[in-house]
Amino acid sequence: MTATQQPMAQRFVGESVKRSEDKRILTGTGNYVDDVQLPGMLHAAFLRSPFAHAHITSIDVSAARQVEGVVAVHDGASMQGLLAETAQPPGIFGPAPVKFTLLASDKVRLVGDPVAVVVATSRYIAEDALQLIDVEYDELPPIATVEHALDESRPAIFEDLGSNVVTGPRTNTHGDVDGAFARADRIVTANIKVHRHQNVPMECRGVVADFDTDSQTLTIHGSNQGVGIAKMVLTGQLGMPPDTIRVLCGDIGGSFGLKIGTGREEIATAALSKAIGRPVKWIEDRNEHLAFSGQAREETLDVEAAVTNEGDILGLKVSMIVDTGAYPGMGAMLGGMVENMMPGPYSLEGLEFTFRAVTTNKATYVAYRGPWASETFCRERIVDMVAKELGMEPLEVRRRNIAFQGDNPGKMVTGRTLKSATARESLEKIAELVDLPSFRKRQAEARQQGKHLGIGMATYIEAAPGPRADGGGGLGNEAMRMRLDDDGIVRVFTAQMPHGQSHETTLAQIAAEEFGVPMEMVKVVVGDSDQVPFGFTGGSRSATMAGGAALVNARALREKVLEETANQLEAAVEDLEIVDGKVGVRGVPAKAKALAEIATTATAAGTALEVSQAFDGGQGGWSGGTHCAIVEVDVETGLVDIERYIVVEDCGKLINPAVVDGQVRGGVAQGIGAVLLEKSAYDPDSGQFLAGTFMDYLLPTTTEVPRIETHHLETVPLDPDVNFRGVGEGGMVVSPATLCNAIEDALSPFAVKIEEQHLPPLRILELIGALDD
Amino acid sequence: MNVELTVNGEARSAHDVEPRKTLADFLREDLGLTGTHLGCEHGVCGACTVIVDGDAVRSCLMLAVQANRAEIRTIEGLGTPDDMNPLQESMRDSHAFQCGFCTPGFMMQITALLEENPSPTEDEVRETLSGNICRCTGYESIINGVLKAVGA
Repeated sequence: MTATQQPMAQRFVGESVKRSEDKRILTGTGNYVDDVQLPGMLHAAFLRSPFAHAHITSIDVSAARQVEGVVAVHDGASMQGLLAETAQPPGIFGPAPVKFTLLASDKVRLVGDPVAVVVATSRYIAEDALQLIDVEYDELPPIATVEHALDESRPAIFEDLGSNVVTGPRTNTHGDVDGAFARADRIVTANIKVHRHQNVPMECRGVVADFDTDSQTLTIHGSNQGVGIAKMVLTGQLGMPPDTIRVLCGDIGGSFGLKIGTGREEIATAALSKAIGRPVKWIEDRNEHLAFSGQAREETLDVEAAVTNEGDILGLKVSMIVDTGAYPGMGAMLGGMVENMMPGPYSLEGLEFTFRAVTTNKATYVAYRGPWASETFCRERIVDMVAKELGMEPLEVRRRNIAFQGDNPGKMVTGRTLKSATARESLEKIAELVDLPSFRKRQAEARQQGKHLGIGMATYIEAAPGPRADGGGGLGNEAMRMRLDDDGIVRVFTAQMPHGQSHETTLAQIAAEEFGVPMEMVKVVVGDSDQVPFGFTGGSRSATMAGGAALVNARALREKVLEETANQLEAAVEDLEIVDGKVGVRGVPAKAKALAEIATTATAAGTALEVSQAFDGGQGGWSGGTHCAIVEVDVETGLVDIERYIVVEDCGKLINPAVVDGQVRGGVAQGIGAVLLEKSAYDPDSGQFLAGTFMDYLLPTTTEVPRIETHHLETVPLDPDVNFRGVGEGGMVVSPATLCNAIEDALSPFAVKIEEQHLPPLRILELIGALDD
Repeated sequence: MNVELTVNGEARSAHDVEPRKTLADFLREDLGLTGTHLGCEHGVCGACTVIVDGDAVRSCLMLAVQANRAEIRTIEGLGTPDDMNPLQESMRDSHAFQCGFCTPGFMMQITALLEENPSPTEDEVRETLSGNICRCTGYESIINGVLKAVGA
């Protein structure tokens, strides 16, 4: 044992340590954005467009201004005057720059587009006043579907773009596509459709902006996945120096990708506080949230698979279109992510990938738990279609096609090494757990009795963060600061902004174990742009990146504290140990000095016991796994019952198994919702939004989500120290394909080919011919 | 209108309460009890569930003035961070929740359930909680926490 290793007594990593967060959230003492109440605080409410696509011909806010309790009313034109002259349209980082104002001024581009805002002494009064704003619209032909977007006779949503196609078509090829298709015995085709659904955290978006006129500083209480990003956006929009804006986030009631950015209403609220000189709160209501906060997916993928009669999938040609909604951002760049991951763990010889993104009069595409997930849905559905066409078990087709693993692992045809991918191990574990032959027997017997059982499985890998390429290749850096304070507490300043992921617990587990103190002596500091490094939580990166940063910083801080103590005690570093929050000479516990005392003495001498090391991801590695569902489809009602759902996943070394299980189950539940219930529906003619309440947008409840049987592989340590990998998104990435594969298998007597992801009861009845399409 | 009621065993009153003000907004804004959360404001998600005269009620669908003379219990009345009640301890042991936003509603719905039925089966727990939406957990950890609390 070297001097810097900790005795085995204090191990926290790998244990289902109870969450630090829970004492707050179980007692109603959390601090969510709507809990912030400030003296003199005003409330904002937004007037929104009832039309999908229309010119605003006039807007009259004068009556709203007369309402008692109303402090300010702005339309799109006057709101623009509250922003920096240099402010660019927010949120655009994909297509060519387009012009629009923060609140819609010349035209509205979707149902829910904000056109005016009222600030009043209560939200009730603000909403009263909204009703007195008179807006005249001149409706334009809506772009309600991809077909509309491609129809050049329809108007462009952004005139300066001149078209509703915002990206592509752009085609890339990888490997030997022509050769793969030339050698194929047959071509299997499908038109895969992933419907529009959305994140729906239980806490909607919101902000409290507090501008102090004396100091000319702005304090933001937000609900964002990264305080630094919010600060950066507001700095640009308001034209304020960075050191005059502080962004704070307390507890955040979920996000799933939605709250990475800073919304137009959040910017408006900040600008209003600055203009009025009082705190202003805006809390999104659920209808606003469903209609406008952001939506995801709505992708179609035309696929041709080059296949041999033995079941080898040689190549794929995929043509993808994503409906990015109005104000397109991330969706316009989605193609690259889907393309790179399309081969998954399989050894394709060639891939041709074509991508197009269009803008429509719907909510903006936002990141939602595995934004690239359509690659898995598409590929894993195709695998089952190939199996069916060849009369093979889907398990066998997967076995045949998974790339070689071992000392010299294969590469994805799109370039990335498959080192550390354990798709085959997860697949074999599923095969061991389900006993396919006996299921097939039970399935046949059940069919005799009119019961339709089906089994489906699907395999995926996820770059969370992915393996470091041979010879280098960056995984990005994660910054962190760590300090031993005078109170004897080790404070971890992380760029992560947890919103359910339990970072206050998991990062403390790692830091406490490495530094050598009880969990209670580590505090994880989040959500303050004055204190934490720039960054955000997303992309399932925190386990490796922030976990690794906690490890290397705790190690460095330990070294520093031991050196300082050696000076203070006039002892050799090698003789020191940290026990129960005290540092002392090994074997001489009476001489041990409390960490608080060491820190206080160091501070008095001008020595800060602080370190700040970025972590580069180490060797990284793949996350991934295989899921399997056994379902029963009631062909009378179209209802799907999930009899058994099994997860075999590999996210490397588990930091906190209960947290990992929670992430896995939560992701699977969202996949169940996506397939069986949820749809952000729009009228295909008018573009009217049809899912504005929880009676229209149906979320899974306790009666739809079964127990999830979870198995962890924890294999292939690539890095000497950091083998934690991300696990947040995988459950949602692979569960839709797993369920659809199971449902198609259950419906095989009806010769149903399932190409879409959304299979509510009515659709199932249509597919089996019990109802007209 | 004046509202007089008992909240978590304490007599509270307020004057000039607007008749249209919801009980949820009244609890959060007028009484400062922000533990009760609003997830949908149309009675579906259950985040705002409180106990009114012994029954679990959605405080977004009830007006404050309707709660006049009622006895109300909210999440703040269950236990404190340093002295959680046995249900809260069980939920913590089971890693029941993640982001915590739906938590107050679940906790009050479960509290009402256990007062009516101290030893529910898993099916009964699932049925009772089917009106509360959690977007993070997939529910299994919540069910486990309830079953642990009742010693099942």
